[in-house]
Amino acid sequence: MLIVSKQIKVILVCLLFEYTVLLNASEPPEKLKALIVGKVAKYVHWKKCDNKYFIITMLNEPFPQLFKNLYTNQKIKKRPVKINNITSINQLQATDILYIPKVNILQLPEILESVDNKNILTVSDIRGFAQKGGMIQLSFVSQKIKLKVNTDVAREHNLHITPTLLRIADRVKGNNK
Amino acid sequence: MNIYKSIFFILLSFSYIFATEERRQESKLINSSLEELMQVESEMQAKLGSRGEERSPLEATSPIDVITYQQIERTGLNSLTDVLRYFVAGFNAPETSVADGSDHVRAYTLRGMSPDQILILINGKRMHTSALLHVNGVIGRGSTQVDLESITLTAIEKIEILRDGAAAQYGSDAISGVINIILKGADQSNRVSVHTGERREGDGRELHADAFISIPLKYDGFVNIALDVKSQEATQRAGIDQRLSPPSIETHVGIPDSTSYKTLINTEIPLESDITLYGKLILSQRKSQASAFYRPVNQYSSALYSNGFLPMIDAQIFDSSFTIGANGTWSDETSWELSHTYGHNGFDYSVYDSMNYTLGEKSPNSFNNGSLHFTQNITNFDIKKKLNSIKLAAGAEYKIEKYQVKAGDEESYIGTGSQGFSGFRPENEVHKDRNNYALYFDAIYNVNEDFKVEAATRYEDYSDFGFTTNAKLSMSYKLTSELLLRSSANSGYRAPSLAQSSFSHISTFVNTSGVLTTQGTFRPEHELSQSLGAKELQPERSKNITLGSVYRPTSNLSITLDYFYVEVDDRILLSSELSATNPQQQVLLDKYGVSAARFFKNAADTQTQGVDLKINYLYTIDKLSKINFALWYNKNQTKVTECTSPSNQTLGCSEQISRVEDGQPKSSLKLLTTYQTQKMNITLNINYYGEYSQMMNEISYDFDSAWTSDIDISYHIDKDLSISVGANNLFDTLPNKWDGLSGNFYGYDGIKPYARYSPFGYSGAYYYLKASMKF
Repeated sequence: MLIVSKQIKVILVCLLFEYTVLLNASEPPEKLKALIVGKVAKYVHWKKCDNKYFIITMLNEPFPQLFKNLYTNQKIKKRPVKINNITSINQLQATDILYIPKVNILQLPEILESVDNKNILTVSDIRGFAQKGGMIQLSFVSQKIKLKVNTDVAREHNLHITPTLLRIADRVKGNNK
Repeated sequence: MNIYKSIFFILLSFSYIFATEERRQESKLINSSLEELMQVESEMQAKLGSRGEERSPLEATSPIDVITYQQIERTGLNSLTDVLRYFVAGFNAPETSVADGSDHVRAYTLRGMSPDQILILINGKRMHTSALLHVNGVIGRGSTQVDLESITLTAIEKIEILRDGAAAQYGSDAISGVINIILKGADQSNRVSVHTGERREGDGRELHADAFISIPLKYDGFVNIALDVKSQEATQRAGIDQRLSPPSIETHVGIPDSTSYKTLINTEIPLESDITLYGKLILSQRKSQASAFYRPVNQYSSALYSNGFLPMIDAQIFDSSFTIGANGTWSDETSWELSHTYGHNGFDYSVYDSMNYTLGEKSPNSFNNGSLHFTQNITNFDIKKKLNSIKLAAGAEYKIEKYQVKAGDEESYIGTGSQGFSGFRPENEVHKDRNNYALYFDAIYNVNEDFKVEAATRYEDYSDFGFTTNAKLSMSYKLTSELLLRSSANSGYRAPSLAQSSFSHISTFVNTSGVLTTQGTFRPEHELSQSLGAKELQPERSKNITLGSVYRPTSNLSITLDYFYVEVDDRILLSSELSATNPQQQVLLDKYGVSAARFFKNAADTQTQGVDLKINYLYTIDKLSKINFALWYNKNQTKVTECTSPSNQTLGCSEQISRVEDGQPKSSLKLLTTYQTQKMNITLNINYYGEYSQMMNEISYDFDSAWTSDIDISYHIDKDLSISVGANNLFDTLPNKWDGLSGNFYGYDGIKPYARYSPFGYSGAYYYLKASMKF
C-alpha cells in the first residue's frame, strides 16, 4: 500500500509538472481568421462612423457561430460589435466590414461591384483577393496567418490603412477588379 | 481511499483545471494584439483521406499525422526516408549492405507490413514506384516501392500520413497507410542551406547543399524551384574476412558511396477567372556504388586477379515525373479538377573491379549489366459537390504502367556472368504493360456537429487480372467536447506489380564449397516456375479495421490512441531458392542451366494488429519561447496464418515467415522534445527500437532492442541566418552482433557481423554542422 501511495504521489507530481507547462497552443485556422478580422479594424479608419454598432457582415456564414461567440460583448472602435449574417449580397445593409468566404469566388466581381464607392472594408481568404479588387486578404503560410492589403482599393473606398498595419502586412497595389 | 478512487479524483480535478485554463486561454487570445495573433500557429490541417477537404487531423475519422517543414528543418536530416524514420514510430527503414540493388534504394515499411503496401502521393497524386525489385534477403524482399530519395526536402511544406487502409479512395497499395507529400506553395521564403558531417568512426562524410527559390505570380500564383546536391561517402563496418590469409577486411559493409542531384519545380497559375493551372516537375539522378562479397583468389580468377578482387556494383538511378492539371469551380458548391501525371524510374546496373570467370584472362573488369525501367501515366478527373451537410466527390482515373528489363553487354551475362552481379540476359528482357481504369465515389455526411460519417467506394478494372471493388466506411463521434471516438472499416487490394510478374534474372557464384553454382529468378508463368508450383499472380486482398479515440482536454494537449487490424490474403512473396523434388523438375532445371529457382507466388495470408499511442503538448514559456513534447508509441504484430509452400518444399516458407513475422521491431517509441526561443532551437529525439530476428540456415537469431538519441541545436544569428550543430545517434549505439552464429559471411566473426534488418543501421553516430539562410 505504501508503494501504491508513492506511485500516486509520483503521478501527481508528474501531472502537476505537466500542468505548469501546459499553456498556449495552436488554434483552428477559422478561429484565427475570425480574430484577425476584429484586430485589423483597429488599424483602419472609416470616413463614416456614425452607426451605434460596429457591424461585421458575414456572407454565407463561413464560420457558423464562431464570430458571435468571439465578439459577443466585445467592442471595436469603442462601439459594441454586431454580427450580421447574409446569404446574398443583395441583402447587404450598412456595415463596416464585409467578410467574403471562399465559397463566393464565382460571385466576387459582382460582390465587389456592389460595394463600390461604399465605405466598407472587404476582407476575404479567397486566393488573389487583394489583387482582384479586395482590400484585406487572409492566408496561411507555414501555419501562420499572413495579411495582404490593397491600399489603393482602400483609398478609393475612403478607408485609411495605418502605417502600423502596412508594416506587418504585404502591400498590394493597383485595382485589377 | 483506494487507488482507483484516487486516480478518479485526480482526473476529475485536472479536467476542471483544464477547463478553467481553456477559458483563460480563450480570453487571452481575444485580448492579444494583431502582431501577437500573427505569431500564433494555426492548428495543423491535412487533406489526406478527404478528397482535398482540409481538416484537423484530430477531428478526422481515421488517424492522420502531419510533419511540417519547420520540424524537418530542426533535425539536420537531408533524406526523406530518414525524416520519416525520425518522426514516425512504426516506420522502419533498415540500412542494408551487400544486397545488390537494395543497397541503393532503401526499403521502408509502415506498421510492420511490406514496402509495397504503402501508397505515396505528391500533392495528392500517386507517385510511381522504383523499377528496382528487392530480391535479396532484405526487409521487403520481393517488393517494389517509391524511391523517396528522389524528392528534395527543401521543396516540402508538410507530410501527411494516414495510418489506415484507403484503397477504396486511392486504389492499389493503400493497405498499411498512405503518405501524402505536400509541396510548398505561395509566399514561401527563398532559402539556401549547406550541411556537412561525418560518422564518429571518421568515415561516411556527407556534403549537402540545397536551394529553394519562389517566384510570385499574379493572384498568388507561384513558380517554386528547388535544387539539391548531395555527396555521401561510404561507411565501413565489415568484419574480418576469415577466408583470407592473413585475415583482413576487404568487403564493403555499410552505407554506399553516392552522389545525387535533384530538381523540383512546382507551379500554380491562377487565372483571372476561378480556374487555376498547376504543374510540377521532378528530376533526380543518383549514382551509387556498393560492393558484393570479396572474391578470394581461385582457379577462375587467378589469371586476372592474383590476390582476389572486390566486385563493385554501380547503380545509376534516374527518376523523373511531371504533373499538369487544372482546377476550378462550376458553381458555389461544385468544383472540378483534371490532371495528368507521368512518372519514370530507371535503374542502370554496371559492375567494375570484377570479371567473368568463363572469359578467364580475356574478361573485361567492368561491365554494363543492363537496366530496369518503370513508367506510369495517370489521368484523373474529379468533381466535388457540397449539398448542405453532405459533401460528395466522384472521379475517374485511367492508368497505364510499363515495365522494362534491358539486357546488359554479352560479357556481363555469358557463361558465369560478371561476378558481383550478373548482367541481364536477352531472355530476361521484357517490355510489359497494362492499363486500368477506376471509378470512385466518396461521401462525407455531417449528421450533426458531433457525428460524422464517411463512405467511399472504388471500382477498378485491370487489363491483366480483372476487376475489383472496394469500400470504406468510417465515422467519428464527439462524446464530449474533449473526447472524440473514431472507427473505420475498409476492404483493399494491391495489384501485383509488373516487376513481380515479369522480372527474371540468372546469377552464378562460387559457393562455400568452391563450386560454381547458378540460380535463377523466373517469371511465374515460366514452365520451370509452373513445375515448381507457381500460378498466375492475383492481387493481394486486405481488410482493415481501426478503432481509436482522441482526447483533447485543452487546445495544447492531445492524446490519441488507435487500435488497428489488417488482414491480408494472398500476400505475394518471392519463394526461397527451390531445387527439384522430382525428375521432371530436374529436367527443367537442367534445361535452363540452374541448380535452383525462385519465383513470385500468392503464398501467404497474414494478420497484422497493433496500437499507436500519441501524446502531444505544447507549453509557451513567454511570447518568444516554447517547449513541445511529442510521444509516439507503436506496437504491431504480424502473424502468417497460412503459407503455401511451393512444390511442397518446407524450405519455401520458414524463412519468409520469419522475415514477415519477426524481421522488424514489434514496438517502437519516439519522444521528441523541442525547445524554441527567438534565438535558439534545441531538438532532442529519443528513439526506442524493439527486438527483431533474422533467420540464417533455418535457425532464427534474435537481436536486442536499442535506444538511440538525436540532438539538434540551432542558433539564429539574425532572423534570416541560422547555424546548427547536431548528432544523429548521439551516443553511437550499435546493434548487437549475431549471437551464437559464427561464419565467414554472416556471424559475429564474419564479414557481416550485424543483421541487415537493424532498424537504425550499423554505421553509428553521425555529427553535423549546418548553415541556412533565408533571402
